[in-house]
Amino acid sequence: MSNRDVTLGQYVPGRSPVHRTDPRIKLVLAVVFSATLFVVNGWTGYGALAGYVIACTALARLPWGLVVRSLRPILLLVVLTIVFHGVQTPGAPLAVWGPVEITGEGLTAAVRLAVRLVLLAAGVSLVTLTTSPVAMTDGLERLLSPGRRLGLPAAEIAFMVSLALRFIPTLAEEFDRIVKAQKARGADWESGGVFRRARALVPVLVPLFVRAFRRADGLALALESRCWRGAEGRTQWRSGRVGARDWLVLVGSLVLFGVVGWRCR
Amino acid sequence: MTSRDRNPLPVRQLALVAMFAAVTSVLAWIRIPLPFSPVPITGQTFGLMLAGLLLGPRLGALSQTVYLLMGVIGLPVFAGGQAGLGVLLGPTGGYLWGHIAGAYIAGLVAGPDPAGAAPRPMPATAGGRLPGGLPRGRIGLARTLTGAVLGGIAAVYALGVVQLAIVTGMDWPAAVLAGAVPFLPGDLVKAAVAATVAMRLAPVAAASLRPSTAGY
Repeated sequence: MSNRDVTLGQYVPGRSPVHRTDPRIKLVLAVVFSATLFVVNGWTGYGALAGYVIACTALARLPWGLVVRSLRPILLLVVLTIVFHGVQTPGAPLAVWGPVEITGEGLTAAVRLAVRLVLLAAGVSLVTLTTSPVAMTDGLERLLSPGRRLGLPAAEIAFMVSLALRFIPTLAEEFDRIVKAQKARGADWESGGVFRRARALVPVLVPLFVRAFRRADGLALALESRCWRGAEGRTQWRSGRVGARDWLVLVGSLVLFGVVGWRCR
Repeated sequence: MTSRDRNPLPVRQLALVAMFAAVTSVLAWIRIPLPFSPVPITGQTFGLMLAGLLLGPRLGALSQTVYLLMGVIGLPVFAGGQAGLGVLLGPTGGYLWGHIAGAYIAGLVAGPDPAGAAPRPMPATAGGRLPGGLPRGRIGLARTLTGAVLGGIAAVYALGVVQLAIVTGMDWPAAVLAGAVPFLPGDLVKAAVAATVAMRLAPVAAASLRPSTAGY
């Protein structure tokens, strides 16, 4: 139960062209980029996409160490993928090790998939690294707003994201307090069988959720007493227009992804 | 109906949905190691199960959508302090998409939607049912547990394993072996705990979801 290593967001402030691109454009490009990665199959394609990611990272002046560190969570999966493919793909054996047979074909397939996973993580995390949470929330709201006709409350969702953000520290503190209170009463999560340990979670979860319900009631009351009438139609500080430069970035990148995806299948 | 169209989410429900998104994020930081499995128990599935069980399918799924968006904008709310769109589109993203589907299914299976259609008649507690909430008693617990298992485990694993297999190119048996089997014991225990907690909280949830008396 450690929440020491929790920093607020991954955003690295900056004023580079990548930072200043409209968040909507970046989100759309991230999705198209990952789709392209799955269509592409071959070193030319991977090379082109890797070049794109490296160019964007350099342009954004992000510290390279940070980008490499953001790849750490997927490391285990990369290793797992390499092992599965290296061992399973039939072909000419390179090395035999008991029942395990490593083939040249398997190794190529494995490395190719590993490259794909690393590119996916590095490319898409560029969006979160270069966009502030507030700008991203606005961007998401605007991206989702056409969904309103289908019953998707876009403005409310954006508002709830900021409400929830505000409540994380409060709830984390309350969680901590509940855990300490139950420990003082002799609660024990470290010993006993699985079922005893799991049962010991009930006296933590019940008060936590009761507190959450109470907080929500208080929040609703506070909103109502300030005559809050729904998130729709709220005005915003930033006008958030997609400028000519943004369109250029969008079209340029889409053409690149299209060509790479079409030529390097 | 015009006022409802303009404001699809009453302020009470909005506050609850936001709160459950925050609770899910806080729970994602809990880890309990298990003696018989290399995969520890992590808490965020409690968030999705309880959101579905207590808020009902629609609001439960909405709260998990808000949770995912918090991760997308870069807050470290996913398991292990991860964040970003990359996690959602990456190999383990299916488990996160499963939060939305899972909460919906858990709510659907467990009982009538507590946030259902506008004003209900007076609560008919005589039928052994809390007003609009989870059904009570032994049958209620069985249904709640079924909801937790189908939503919190079956739905989450289905999406999780499919995306794992597609993104990493593993074949199906390998994906199931890597992406479902190790988590199963821990998640079954979690579903049982979530169902117990949900039953205890049902009265609180029902009171909180009842439309405000202030007449807005």
